[in-house]
Amino acid sequence: MNVGAKSTRLHLKLEGWRSRTLLLLLIGAFVGLGMRAVYLQSFNSGFLQQKGDERYSRVIEMPASRGIIRDRNGQPLAISTPSESIWASREDVEMKPEQTRALASLLSLDPAELNQRLNGGRGNFVYLKRQVTPETAQEIMGLKISGLYDQAGYHRAYPKGEETAHLVGFTDADDHGQEGVELAFQSLLGGAAGAKRVIKDRAGHIIEDVESIRVARPGQDVTLSVDGRIQHLAYRELRNAIALNHAKAGAVVILDTQTGEILALANYPDFDPNNREHLTGTQLRNRAITDTFEPGSTLKPFTIATALETGKVTPNTVIPTTGGQMTIGPAVIKDTHASNGLTVSQVIQHSSNVGAARIALSLPPESMWNTFTDVGFGQLPKLGFPGEAGGRVRPFKTWRPIEQATMAYGNGISVSLIQLARAYTIFANGGSLRTLSLTKVTGPAQSRTVISAQTAHQVSDMLELVVKPEGTAPAAQVRGYRVAGKTGTAHKVVAGRYANLYVASFVGFAPASNPRVLIAVMIDEPSGGRYYGGLVAAPVFSLLMGNVLQMLSIPPDDPNSGDFQIPASKTGAAEDT
Amino acid sequence: MNPFSTPRLLRSEYDLTLLWTVLALLALGVVMVYSASIATAEADRHVGYRSSYYFVRQLLFVGLSLGAGFVVFQIKVDVWQKWAPYLFGVGLLGLILVLIPGLGHEVNGSRRWLSLPILNLQPSEFMKFFVLLYAADYTVRKAAFMHSLKRGFVPMFMVMVLVGALLLREPDFGALAVMTAIAAAILFLGGLNWRLFLFLMVILAVSFVLLVVLSPYRFNRLIWFWNPWADPFGKGYQLTHALIAFGRGGWLGVGLGASVEKQLYLPEAHTDFLLAVIAEELGLVGVVLTIGLFVFVVWRAFAIGNRAASMERYFAALTAQGIGVWIAVQTIVNMGVNMGLLPTKGLTLPLLSYGGSGMMTNVLALALLLRIDYESRQMMRGQAT
Repeated sequence: MNVGAKSTRLHLKLEGWRSRTLLLLLIGAFVGLGMRAVYLQSFNSGFLQQKGDERYSRVIEMPASRGIIRDRNGQPLAISTPSESIWASREDVEMKPEQTRALASLLSLDPAELNQRLNGGRGNFVYLKRQVTPETAQEIMGLKISGLYDQAGYHRAYPKGEETAHLVGFTDADDHGQEGVELAFQSLLGGAAGAKRVIKDRAGHIIEDVESIRVARPGQDVTLSVDGRIQHLAYRELRNAIALNHAKAGAVVILDTQTGEILALANYPDFDPNNREHLTGTQLRNRAITDTFEPGSTLKPFTIATALETGKVTPNTVIPTTGGQMTIGPAVIKDTHASNGLTVSQVIQHSSNVGAARIALSLPPESMWNTFTDVGFGQLPKLGFPGEAGGRVRPFKTWRPIEQATMAYGNGISVSLIQLARAYTIFANGGSLRTLSLTKVTGPAQSRTVISAQTAHQVSDMLELVVKPEGTAPAAQVRGYRVAGKTGTAHKVVAGRYANLYVASFVGFAPASNPRVLIAVMIDEPSGGRYYGGLVAAPVFSLLMGNVLQMLSIPPDDPNSGDFQIPASKTGAAEDT
Repeated sequence: MNPFSTPRLLRSEYDLTLLWTVLALLALGVVMVYSASIATAEADRHVGYRSSYYFVRQLLFVGLSLGAGFVVFQIKVDVWQKWAPYLFGVGLLGLILVLIPGLGHEVNGSRRWLSLPILNLQPSEFMKFFVLLYAADYTVRKAAFMHSLKRGFVPMFMVMVLVGALLLREPDFGALAVMTAIAAAILFLGGLNWRLFLFLMVILAVSFVLLVVLSPYRFNRLIWFWNPWADPFGKGYQLTHALIAFGRGGWLGVGLGASVEKQLYLPEAHTDFLLAVIAEELGLVGVVLTIGLFVFVVWRAFAIGNRAASMERYFAALTAQGIGVWIAVQTIVNMGVNMGLLPTKGLTLPLLSYGGSGMMTNVLALALLLRIDYESRQMMRGQAT
């Protein structure tokens, strides 16, 4: 081929300047790109990185593990276990029918309900289920459904369930205490969530930990004063008593009289803190603390103690009881058993309203009011429990004589069971009121003197008479121990009037020679035919006290009482008001 | 020194440096496509959540392309010249077929893919190659009229208007831009009267302005890129994320595989915005290296063209430099888009971005470039081609 000829034929001339110019232009553009890259990646990179951080750098909270709640022996009452929450981004969820079915069954939801949750409601974010076990969560994520995510957290478990439900309370889904000790000790148990800066991908997954801003401070464990074994017993016996008496509700408080520690606090109706789906307010109430009732005769010892303190009476002073009836203005005070004169001790033993009223009327209202207030009635118990009730003691200046008289035997005043139990510590502790504690007490017990030791012992002796065969509560006896206590049976006030509904109670302590354990039992609206404290509450007291004293290895102080008998004639007659 | 030794350049029968540069770009592409696509693939039901979906396919594309490139290398340049008009016709047919409902496969509002039993073809990618061959052949054939408006310029212009009309129906504005650049560059290199060329430039500018004014969609696309931060979560979303990727990369990058932007933030990370992922993971060093490799390829294309021209192999010369212009323009536009210098176009980064048709045509063109060089070397050794 003749190259020259081809050239001539085509008249084509590729001029060097053209390709050089073009190449220069192109390389110039590349150089420009390079310069732009230098600008973006060095001079402007700070700004761009900051913009990037705004897009996907997030500060996330690191949940602090919640402290364990234990009983005094170290048994766990509330523990946190890892759990996951399954949430969905509604817009992004895409599921095949079989995936929907699998997911619904893993979440234990109805497929229709699942669809309703995913398609109904507002916003894009929805929790499908919270507090799922890590294993289930893993299976769910294994379905690879887009738009479905899991979030780690803690699940609160309550190994003792109903037994400690009211005492321990529970947390909400965000691990904040809602009730009971969980709420009372929230700041201690909750710890402080930590925070860290992370980089998230667009789907919200953490892909990089950048820095730790704050280390999570785990919650502290709380050791309660409660003894799990005693709590179990109290709960079981309370339930049995309520079933036996067809009662509406009830509560038991057990105290260590020497330390003021609450050994047990049981309520009924109860609930399962591990499954609170159908929880009602009735079940939830910690009656021993939040509910007040007219205590009835359990208040008489405080009237008597006030009288003894003033020196106007001694245990043996005879009080005229005028045939078991007494008239103040239009009102009539009655005893269940007619008598014409009872010693102060017998007023307690037989629970005479007339006797107590007469003694009260001999006292200045202020001195009674002082005693009631000093033992904590009308004041918040300050245990830190949610919803604590203070009860009601009207100012003494407004008392009319009839009111002062009825208050002597516990009408026209309202207290909670825990207040009542605490007030009785003055008779068990030589006149000192113990400060109650929900947590295990390690230091010396705190107390405040309210009445003299002599008065306390005198009243304690009278309380021992109550459980004697002649008293109102022989059923409260405990084999081998001297027991002191008082029955209470109060009419309930419904819509401002006394109705034919009762609250039966018994408060007592043992061993009377050196009191260690104090138990207060309250049964609300017994309807099994018996409603007297001596018949309904005293047997519960007896059973609990016997078992608790043995559990705590407290030596008997009355070894000879082994063959005591409850006189058959007295069981039906052990009555009070 | 042995007077009979061949010059160093001619010791090899092929331009091995160019070959290795192209292979290096392909390898970088495979690695970066894998890195950039993992998160996307894992989140995508359509690819079965397989993290290596795009990686495996990209490897397959590279393999197929290299195979096809090997075949192309066996074909004499003259054959291409002879077939150029027919191939152009085939390309036009492809552009027509893709517009027929049922044959054309629509993605993101663009009808660019032709569904074939085994794989999907993108006719506009192949058309770039055919326009290049056609323009080179045209220039050689019309060499005598390169000074004439009517006989030298208008016929080619009319052909490009036809191609442009078809491409805008898809639409594939990016491909049209590249083809126009290739055709204009070849006419310019072929000696088109500079006044005519100026006229051509004016025509181009006017048509761009017209397109912009007549189509608000393009107008909007055209203006916001100057300040993507004005609407960072709307129109500026993709670009701001690309820019953030550059910024995050800094000098040395966050490390291979460590890009955050590819975690579903930056759309099209494995295709149009692969450079942003390179910038984030490999830093300025990686970007400059990538630019350097492309500059080398373009420079070689021009050098090979110049040598062919000096041997008066004009079709080969124009084709070689046209290939250089093609690679250069597409790379520049893609990179410019990534760095916020140009409005977003559907243009991939040659040899690197994910995609079968684009990769295939680029490799075919570069194989032809190597063939042109091979023939020049053979001629310099005094062997007949």
